[in-house]
Amino acid sequence: MTHYTEDDLILYYYGEGRRRGDPSTSSGSPQALWRDDVEHHLETCAACAKAYRALAETLQLVPVIDVPEREESYGLDVWQRIRSRLPEPVVPWWHGWFGWKRLSLAGAAVAIVIGAFVAGRMWPPRAPASPVVAVDPNEAGARVRLAATSDHLDRSERVLLDLMNAEGQTVDLTDQQAWSADLIDSNRLYRDAAARAGDELVANVLDELERSLLEIVHGPSMPKAAELDEVRARVDLAALLFKVRILADELHEREIAPTQPRKIT
Amino acid sequence: MQMDAIEAAAVLARARQGDSDAFRVLVERHSRNVFRLAFRMTGNEQDAEDVVQESFLRAYRQLGRFESRANFGTWLYRIVVNCSVDLMRARQARQAQARIESLDELDVIPTPAEGPGPERLAQSAEIGARVADAMSGLSPLERAAFTLRHYEGRSIDEISRMLGLRTSATKHSVFRAVRKLRIALAVLK
Ligand SMILES: [Zn+2]
Repeated sequence: MTHYTEDDLILYYYGEGRRRGDPSTSSGSPQALWRDDVEHHLETCAACAKAYRALAETLQLVPVIDVPEREESYGLDVWQRIRSRLPEPVVPWWHGWFGWKRLSLAGAAVAIVIGAFVAGRMWPPRAPASPVVAVDPNEAGARVRLAATSDHLDRSERVLLDLMNAEGQTVDLTDQQAWSADLIDSNRLYRDAAARAGDELVANVLDELERSLLEIVHGPSMPKAAELDEVRARVDLAALLFKVRILADELHEREIAPTQPRKIT
Repeated sequence: MQMDAIEAAAVLARARQGDSDAFRVLVERHSRNVFRLAFRMTGNEQDAEDVVQESFLRAYRQLGRFESRANFGTWLYRIVVNCSVDLMRARQARQAQARIESLDELDVIPTPAEGPGPERLAQSAEIGARVADAMSGLSPLERAAFTLRHYEGRSIDEISRMLGLRTSATKHSVFRAVRKLRIALAVLK
């Protein structure tokens, strides 16, 4: 008799899986968890029934979090708190022409960033530690940097997602490694440009991102399950996926209405 | 507030064009759900209020990027989860203190037959402490997936859409969270 795993029983406890005969089940994958089968098995298999009871008892112990009540009028309160902070509706500056120019814009950004990088390398500031001017005086330059950096973050998010989503007995990360290696190069340029613009938030996230990308590049191409789990756990613990997403969203917003870089609190 | 699907779509379309009155309807409609999720994610009332405001502000600024075919609630929840993780990490130190205080607000599921006796209450405080401890040991993805599944009753498919993960990765986050909680609670049995 094939028994159900703890994972199956967790899904069953939470009402996941489908019933045979349910019209939406026709496209069920071969590994679909059929609730009818689990139910029948639990009635006939003492071992699985015992495991399920233990699981259910524990999960029922997990206390209900008592959420403080909010009045019917709460939505209006929230609205009144935020209404004065809503930005004026803006027509995106790239509206109408940005789509097809985005690629050439990214190219221009790389050129500008590389230019800044090379200039910084070749002519380091001779005066010691005069405070860096925090805001790029050139708004177009700032927009180009933001657009290119947010594209870079979107691409990095896809690599991280590939890593988090990889499954199967043997996982092949060769493509993700090549991709990460490319991203590391541009990551350094964008981080450097962000640091020059006094954009600590961006520079810090890119710094963390570089560490994860390096780990992917230098890790095994065909990681064992345990190795893959370790890398994933580190990416997860650093909340890197969330940080990259939030920052990408924020930069997309700033592209439309660039403001001073947000300082880290 | 009840809205049928056509009205909801119309409100959303107006909000996307920068109509702040239409956005107000969305805020009024979703605020309580957003607060509930934010509280469950952060475990703290003040943080939850901050997340509510920040989430709606972000949602307003990003409405132009919302795909109208998607579900607005799912999209908004995704923003709430992101904001919660962001805020929790920014305030980890304060969070540690707040979680100890919020233990008083935790309660076990009441048995229908009788109210909890003193022994039961003492045990529930210990369970609360252990769960809070285990929850703080979850990674951001584990905590988000577990909160959405266990407390919010969202399906694995929905949670995957909110977290932008494949269902297998979402399931594994839930499995890991449950395992950690089982270990934390095993000594009580
Ligand atoms: Zn069995």
